[in-house]
Amino acid sequence: MLKVQEIRELIKLVDESSISDFSYEANGTKVSMKKENGEVVQVAAPQVAPAVDTKPEPQVETKTAEPKQEAQPKEEPKEEAPASTVDFDHEIVSPMVGTFYESPSPEDDPYVQVGDNVDASTVVCIVEAMKLFNEIEAETKGEIVEILVDNGELVEYGQPLFRVKKK
Amino acid sequence: MEGTRKQLINLLFQHRDRYVSGQELSEVLSISRSAVWKHMNELKKSGYEVEAVTNRGYRIINVPEALSEDAIRWGLETKWLGSTLHYHPTVTSTQNLAHEFARDGAEHGTVVIASEQTKGKGRMKRYWDSKANVGLWFSTVLRPHSLEPKNATQITLVAAVALANVMKEYGIPVSIKWPNDLFIGDKKMAGILTEMQAEQDQIDYIIIGIGLNVNHEEADFGSAVLEHATSLKVYTQDHYNLNTLFKSIAHEFEVQYERFIEHGFKPIKSDWEGYAYKMGEWLTVRAQGEWNAKLIGIHEDGALKVVDEKGQEHLLYSAEILWS
Repeated sequence: MLKVQEIRELIKLVDESSISDFSYEANGTKVSMKKENGEVVQVAAPQVAPAVDTKPEPQVETKTAEPKQEAQPKEEPKEEAPASTVDFDHEIVSPMVGTFYESPSPEDDPYVQVGDNVDASTVVCIVEAMKLFNEIEAETKGEIVEILVDNGELVEYGQPLFRVKKK
Repeated sequence: MEGTRKQLINLLFQHRDRYVSGQELSEVLSISRSAVWKHMNELKKSGYEVEAVTNRGYRIINVPEALSEDAIRWGLETKWLGSTLHYHPTVTSTQNLAHEFARDGAEHGTVVIASEQTKGKGRMKRYWDSKANVGLWFSTVLRPHSLEPKNATQITLVAAVALANVMKEYGIPVSIKWPNDLFIGDKKMAGILTEMQAEQDQIDYIIIGIGLNVNHEEADFGSAVLEHATSLKVYTQDHYNLNTLFKSIAHEFEVQYERFIEHGFKPIKSDWEGYAYKMGEWLTVRAQGEWNAKLIGIHEDGALKVVDEKGQEHLLYSAEILWS
């Protein structure tokens, strides 16, 4: 089921896009929006899923699921494409769920930037969860060719954070 | 500290109710009588009061109040926590120094403690005020090889429970603000900073830093800080021996840590919830917008469990929470 925040987020994204009709359906929840004169005028609230739901899964523990729908309105035909063309042979992944920080504190420069050379023990970022600050090391020697997440973004266990071309 | 001094202090502590002869000390420690005498003089220099009676031997009649390696050693009842101990009168940050020791291979349980930090470190490098001789500032190196990195977050909560248990013993009514701050009423009296070096599936080391406001007077804080911070002394008007307090915390942390490693997070979870700050109250969460949530407990992995205005439960791992 969609959270109120997620619906708000959707409205905002649709509002800012050139889309005039948008609908989304998953697990018995349906949301549709229609813009007239460039403004969102109608929001169908999520329908309650039919009571025949066979899996007794309680709808708890949403783990701050990021609204993946975000990708849809954003999808524009060009741009963002070169991601796959970057030449890399190693990905630095997150060892836990948490918030990605590019620098030791907001006042500091990022640990690394694209083009920087790293070796196995170079700290590349911090991932924080429950106030545990985990300094992530590159674990390989090479050049940072791509940074895949933004500062302050929530990351999942095993999610790639950096791409490295080994040297 | 060299091993002999450590042994000497342990020996004197065990026999603190009687005199221990120089002969006995020199035999047990395999050092000469004059070396024993030199050590006793060193102890006096660090503030111990030593009674020496001819034909009977030595007896410690008073242990110094000021923090020192010798004074911490006296009656430290831990198995491994603090077995290696680095005391410094002044450091920039015990946390940074502990990182250095850990990178050089410091063993599990190594403690770095200081009377004063000139650049005390809170989270995100926020400054932690740590004046000389009024509080406990120490960092412990842990190497929990059986623990997965993704569960390491729970160690902060383990430390918080240990600290709260000690405060309870001292008769202080503390609560824990998720995940890592100790409060008396609505004022912070201790903080915990946990930092980790880990690979995907293996923890290299964890540094757990504890800052505890102990003998601060109200004037030590300044009016702006006083609104948010307190110390044991401000609360009880009593003065506390830092060495004794450290030893109580070290012992309790070791006990709780071992319980956690052996039995997992479950027993810690219920203890933690018993101390939870603002349990059952409404707060504001800043994660994907700003929304109201009621604190209902913690999850079995330590995440904060809240319920929103629609009655839906959420688990928070990394979110800014506006507590008031």
